[in-house]
Amino acid sequence: MGNISIRELSYAYQTDGNTLPILRAASLELPSGAFATVSGPSGSGKSTLLNLIGALDRPQHGNIKVGVVELGELSDWQLAGFRSRMIGFVFQSFHLLPVLSATENVAWPLYFQGIKRSKRMEIAREKLELVGLKGHLNKVPGKLSGGQRQRVAIARALATEPSVVLADEPTANLDRKTAEEIVVLMRSLNENAGVTFLMATHDPMVVAHALQRIELVDGKLIEQKQIQRQEVLAHA
Amino acid sequence: MLDLFYLATLNTLRNTRRSLITILSIAVGCTALISFGAFINFSFEGLRETTIRTQLGHMQIYAKGYWEKRIVDPGSAKIENLSTLQKALENIPEISSVTQRLTFSGIGGIGNATVNMSVIGVDPERDEEFVDFEIVEEGRNLLIGDSDVGVIGRELAHGLGAKIGDWVTVMTTSVDGIINAVDFQIVGIVRTGSTEYDSVFVKIPIQLAQSALETDGVDRVIVLLEKTETLPIVRPKIEAALANMPEQYEFKQWDELAGFYEAVYSLYTGFFRIFAVIVSIVVMFSVANTMSMAVFERLGEIGALRAIGAPRRTMVWMFLYEGIFIGLLGSGSGVALAYGLSTLVDTFGGIPMPPPPSMSEGYQAYFPITFEVLASAVALAMTASLISSIYPSWVASRANIIEALQKK
Ligand SMILES: Nc1ncnc2c1ncn2[C@@H]1O[C@H](COP(=O)(O)OP(=O)(O)OP(=O)(O)O)[C@@H](O)[C@H]1O
Ligand SMILES: [Mg+2]
Repeated sequence: MGNISIRELSYAYQTDGNTLPILRAASLELPSGAFATVSGPSGSGKSTLLNLIGALDRPQHGNIKVGVVELGELSDWQLAGFRSRMIGFVFQSFHLLPVLSATENVAWPLYFQGIKRSKRMEIAREKLELVGLKGHLNKVPGKLSGGQRQRVAIARALATEPSVVLADEPTANLDRKTAEEIVVLMRSLNENAGVTFLMATHDPMVVAHALQRIELVDGKLIEQKQIQRQEVLAHA
Repeated sequence: MLDLFYLATLNTLRNTRRSLITILSIAVGCTALISFGAFINFSFEGLRETTIRTQLGHMQIYAKGYWEKRIVDPGSAKIENLSTLQKALENIPEISSVTQRLTFSGIGGIGNATVNMSVIGVDPERDEEFVDFEIVEEGRNLLIGDSDVGVIGRELAHGLGAKIGDWVTVMTTSVDGIINAVDFQIVGIVRTGSTEYDSVFVKIPIQLAQSALETDGVDRVIVLLEKTETLPIVRPKIEAALANMPEQYEFKQWDELAGFYEAVYSLYTGFFRIFAVIVSIVVMFSVANTMSMAVFERLGEIGALRAIGAPRRTMVWMFLYEGIFIGLLGSGSGVALAYGLSTLVDTFGGIPMPPPPSMSEGYQAYFPITFEVLASAVALAMTASLISSIYPSWVASRANIIEALQKK
């Protein structure tokens, strides 16, 4: 379900008449249930890659397949539906709605699927419990710490039971200890729910937890050798 | 939908100061519009009732052909069978009085001073309701049984230098075209509210007018209703009653006869429209500004919502609802403020106003709020808020998700 297949993907930004190629015929195969990191220097195109997989933008060449869905063939409307059903996003700066409580924030993605309110709130509470925020259901983001906010964001990403969670620098705004707690949380969610996690990061600690470690170098995706779950567990 | 409205509500209240300023500007616009509308309505109701109850009545009925010939040959179309007509009209319950008139214009005066006069012959017994609106300055009004006496307008009395007890001679042509004259003694000097009318106004018993014109007929029957509002119901009843008469009649409604009233009315309605346009422009600018700032500030959230699956449509509605909510709060407070103002004016006994054009009396203005005025002000504010939210909402829905997410 959550396997990601990238073929010959190219992407370039146009700025002031200059073409800035970011991805150059990059290819990648990630199995369903992967726990993967993309790393590379700043500006190498990690966010760009995640945005393309998450259907926030369209590939210029090549194609991306998530599960059985070929992204290139979808209309704008279908892309919104794809994001809603298949993808969960976790951002570096959380991007929660500041006026809503934690529960309401987590419940929002379900709104786009037409689920009724009481059911949404019930699911949201469940997911918040899962990320260890049982005691903070009704707090607005402003009343939560950075780590707690990121937990809310993770719960929100999981609310719709997506196949893939894309996390762009999920730990960059957190202190070391909190960052590690977040990664451990994500890995346990990955293990328990079988959701594919793909994280853009340049944090070696995050990379150390990953099962698939991908380098973005000169617009190409290079996968380091596959690491066994046991090895990582032993390491951690 | 409710959830989106809820979110929009919270978002509106988020930037309290900015939202308050916008809401206040809508509220002030609404209040001004409602109060101005109420004031115009109040003033025109006064003017309307004065016009109807002192001069025109609600309906005037003539013998067929009178209206066309009234200037050249007024004598040729007179109502001859008065009592049958009166009986038929008096059967209509909404009608409070039916009276007859015989009018003519003449030249008259005291001694050497001669001026134009607009003479109406009335039946004092039937004319009581009209008299209510005439203010007797000196002397008395006509009474039942009066024969060769009359009351004249204040300005006319002034012009002639006339006093109570003076004799006035009026000359006119009879229905047969013969020059004729009658004399009457002034028993009262009155004001009708209209200075123009007061400078030609002469009222004498109808028998005296009939002898001046040498006729038994009257030229019009005037119908006065209990309430002006019932006119649309009564009109067809009168039409039906007239159609059943052996003689043929024609009639005019008061507003067809009140050219002056109509002119002033459309002038003020024009003022109101211009004012409404100004208010909508202010509302639109203020809402458009607030909404654009909201969209710009919340690009990050817009990006996040789109990323977690919100279709464009949802973004449009989210911001449209904010505009609607602001409009609702603004016009709601506007209505409340307008009621407050109206009550305040009531408590202080009205605002003294100078006499309207050509009227002799000033009046106390009140702001009685009617549903119509209220509804049009609210509708205007809501429409303006909605329209000015459309573009910002569209911008929000079109924002590039990635660029939006990069905004803090
Ligand atoms: N909207 C844009 N328009 C033009 N250029 C862009 C745009 N977004 C990103 N870029 C450029 O594309 C390159 C890749 O950006 P991207 O954000 O994908 O890199 P990244 O690997 O995520 O970097 P970081 O580690 O700093 O997050 C950068 O040089 C950036 O300046
Ligand atoms: Mg990045």
